[in-house]
Amino acid sequence: MAEHNDKHGQHGDDAHGGGHHVDYRKIYLTLLVLLVVSVVGPFFEILWLTLITAFGIAIVKANLVIQNFMHLKWEKRIMKWVLATSLVLMFLMFAGISSDVMNHEGSNWENVAAQAAVERGLAAAAGLEIEEEDIEPVVVGFNARNTFNLVCATCHGQTGDGTGPAGAALDPRPASFADPAFWTTRDMDRILTVIRDGATAVGGSSLMVGWSASFTPEQIQQLADYVASFRPGA
Amino acid sequence: MADTAITVHHDEHHAHEHHGPQGILKYLWSTDHKIIAMQYLFTGMFMGVIGAFMAYVFRMQLAFPGISVPGFGQVSPGEYNALVTNHGSIMIFWVAMPVLIAAFGNYLIPLMIGADDMVFPRINRLSYQIFLLSVIVLLASLFVPGGGFGGAWTAYPPLSAVGEYNQTSIGASMWLLAVALEFIAFLLGGINFITTLMNSRAPGMKAYDIPLVCWFIVIASILFMLSVGPLIAGAVMLFFDQTIGTGFYDPARGGDPILWQHLFWFFGHPEVYVVLFPAIGITIDVIATFARKKVFGYKLMLYTTVATGVLSFFVWAHHQFIAGIDPRMANIFTITTLLISVPIAELCFVIIATLYGGSIRLTTPMLWALAFMAEFLIGGVTGIFLGASGADVYFHDTYFVLAHFHYTFFPIAIIGTFAAFTYWFPKMFGRMMDDRLGKIHFWGTIIPFNTIFIPLFVLGMGGQHRRIYNYQHFPELAGEGMYTLREIATISLLVMLAFQLVFFYNCIMSWWKGPKAPKNPWNANTLEWTTESPPPHGNWPEGLPNVYRGPYEYGHPDREEDYWPQNLPA
Amino acid sequence: MAFPKPQATLRSSTGIPTGRLAIWWVLASEVVIFGGLLGAYLMFRLGHPEWAESAAVTNTWIGAFNTFVLLTSSFTAVLGHQAAERGDGKQAAKFLVMTIFGAATFIGVKSYEWWYEISHGYTITSNGFWAFYYTAAGLHALHVIAGAVIMGFIAVDAWRNRELQRVELIGIYWHFVDVVWIFLFPLLYIAK
Repeated sequence: MAEHNDKHGQHGDDAHGGGHHVDYRKIYLTLLVLLVVSVVGPFFEILWLTLITAFGIAIVKANLVIQNFMHLKWEKRIMKWVLATSLVLMFLMFAGISSDVMNHEGSNWENVAAQAAVERGLAAAAGLEIEEEDIEPVVVGFNARNTFNLVCATCHGQTGDGTGPAGAALDPRPASFADPAFWTTRDMDRILTVIRDGATAVGGSSLMVGWSASFTPEQIQQLADYVASFRPGA
Repeated sequence: MADTAITVHHDEHHAHEHHGPQGILKYLWSTDHKIIAMQYLFTGMFMGVIGAFMAYVFRMQLAFPGISVPGFGQVSPGEYNALVTNHGSIMIFWVAMPVLIAAFGNYLIPLMIGADDMVFPRINRLSYQIFLLSVIVLLASLFVPGGGFGGAWTAYPPLSAVGEYNQTSIGASMWLLAVALEFIAFLLGGINFITTLMNSRAPGMKAYDIPLVCWFIVIASILFMLSVGPLIAGAVMLFFDQTIGTGFYDPARGGDPILWQHLFWFFGHPEVYVVLFPAIGITIDVIATFARKKVFGYKLMLYTTVATGVLSFFVWAHHQFIAGIDPRMANIFTITTLLISVPIAELCFVIIATLYGGSIRLTTPMLWALAFMAEFLIGGVTGIFLGASGADVYFHDTYFVLAHFHYTFFPIAIIGTFAAFTYWFPKMFGRMMDDRLGKIHFWGTIIPFNTIFIPLFVLGMGGQHRRIYNYQHFPELAGEGMYTLREIATISLLVMLAFQLVFFYNCIMSWWKGPKAPKNPWNANTLEWTTESPPPHGNWPEGLPNVYRGPYEYGHPDREEDYWPQNLPA
Repeated sequence: MAFPKPQATLRSSTGIPTGRLAIWWVLASEVVIFGGLLGAYLMFRLGHPEWAESAAVTNTWIGAFNTFVLLTSSFTAVLGHQAAERGDGKQAAKFLVMTIFGAATFIGVKSYEWWYEISHGYTITSNGFWAFYYTAAGLHALHVIAGAVIMGFIAVDAWRNRELQRVELIGIYWHFVDVVWIFLFPLLYIAK
């Protein structure tokens, strides 16, 4: 009955046990020795030696496990091809993507944010006190008018009268800051609240979202001042 | 007792034969590949209706901006984004893949290779259950606060990673989770298909005796398995960015949004071939049967498809030509992208050569198969414009791209499905469909399909960009001519949707009252036609068939009839 | 609990037993999953030399010990396979239990390691290095746990001399989990 508990189907010549004799203990001890070598490698503080002992040995260890423990050495060729293909695809992926992600500058571009991150990190590692001004800011200074035109004018219009292109489809329509009636019921506090937390914070429509996640309190104050500049007679 | 291990003794197996669960449990708990296939088929078609409804809503908004769409209401910008995002995601992941691969793969592969089921029936059931879970998660995401995810099916960060930007943070994470579950379901299913095809063929069925549709579904599964890995890794990273605040894709934290784009498209491009290959396989099998002719160049088709699959791994960055990738990479990807049109063109020629000299029967399935080739061809050639990175600078993100991929996806997901459905309906449901209604449905789908998307090519060339909910806000796009084109497209969609009612009516009436289907109504050669319609549990209770020849021996000189089933001894 | 296997499962046109064929395909898909994650990590690591400072924090001795644990568990897994080949289900089950014990040790040591690192402020959101560290090692750990659970079911069957061919299959999966760690170890611990 024992033999029926083995693989079902045809018994190919790759039948486990029949033919290949592996000394598993020897492989295991070899793996342990390699592990020790790879741990010891960095202590010599020679970069290429560390890389060889760390990654070169990893490749050797993996190969030993795959060929002998997984018996890939005795497996039919088709499966070796399949596994090799998946590995090759990983190299292809790395080759195709690394030129964009690994580099932080090219012939006509710079990844300013990444470069700043690297500088910050290296400075911190060197124990240097990081002065925010030392590092080139990622974003140029904040300009309330430009920001308003970029972000708010789509609904509120560049002249603040509520006739932005996207505003036309909204119900209720966006507020018009050029309307004197608007200012009879609003003060600076309310304007600040609405910009920061959205109109729902004052019982208004959810179409006006809050922007606290995108702007600092100082920037929100500047935006509110700009909104106030649309007030007739301001 | 483990000694069910005794090999290939069909009579003993027959004696132990289980009929599987009965009654309602049959549908919840069955491991029979045919039941699981039906589950995938109906779930996929249900999701198709939902995806089509979404298309109806946003096309109404585009053609008649600001109207209250019947059955939905007014479309806000956020809702528009959610509609287009989920329309795309649903059609690819929850319609095309489940129907073409999971449903027809599950149904046909064991039958066409002469097996009694898939090799791992319980894993098969598990894969459907995981898939169903993904459906539930996705549909639920449409009803959470904030609504469905609105960051496009490509989910580029930072839009997809930061809740404040996409305004649908719960929906975004649920969408991602649903996609991940769908991937796992298809990984499990793929293993079943590949292993079954490799190992469980009927005695006498050599590799080149396998019907091409089975080969192509399995090649698609392999392509899927090998390409989805990096995206699964990337999706885990995106999920963490969304939920716990890591910065994998956040430039300010040292991350890189372009990484997501690469990981997504490394999978995204092979994915389109994952859905294409089964559709081509279906087309070939239908054409061989109704041209009464052997496929011209079986091995040619097979190796061409494998080559296309390999090449499909080398073209992905053509989706990123203007994303700021290294221009040297753009050069390389332009060349590979233009190259990949060659094997596809070759497939077209092989199909034409198969038809040439054949005795063509224009049944409904044949009409669908022929339409597939014609429409897909248009889609394919328009891809050439987009593959040239210089031209793509203009075309990227315009409706030209959208029309291109609908001219490829629609044939794949819709025409291919109808070809398969009308061809195998007799086998699956034991009744014949009404051919006249089938033809009405066919013309009522194909003609409007073209009048929807040709205007969109024109709009794209005119500069109309994608993913904008109201073109009336852009003076240069709001002209009379462009407005008219949008109207034509939308009205065509309404006509096409109306004709689908003919299909549903045909299905239901045929299933209920149609003439009973014989075993082999089309006089075809492949093994599924040698058993009852529909096949019983175990497919051939009286004994699994042996195979003596290839699948396309039509019009063989040694035969009196014009077909020669695979299972008849010489 | 006799689920009647279809004849399809018992056939083998390729000569490779069905279960083993399937497991190889599982591994092929896992190679691209881990390859994708580790490839992405490598690209970032090479582009961010300042991560070396964070990488220096990982404890190489703990990492080495865990490598030793996994290598040993691979050894016991393959010995279990050898026993199953002989038809000795009970011995095979014993070796599988040893392997599970190795898995538990691995997870236990990792839990301690992570608790230590987290309580010292190195969380997944600390910086890019730590994000990858926890994600990669976490995904690996999930595979360890899942593998150990399945191995438990197979060990129960093996003890009763049932489905002994599955001992080899879970072994192959287990060796793969070991191979992934063989690469994670230098990437996260040695390369500082």
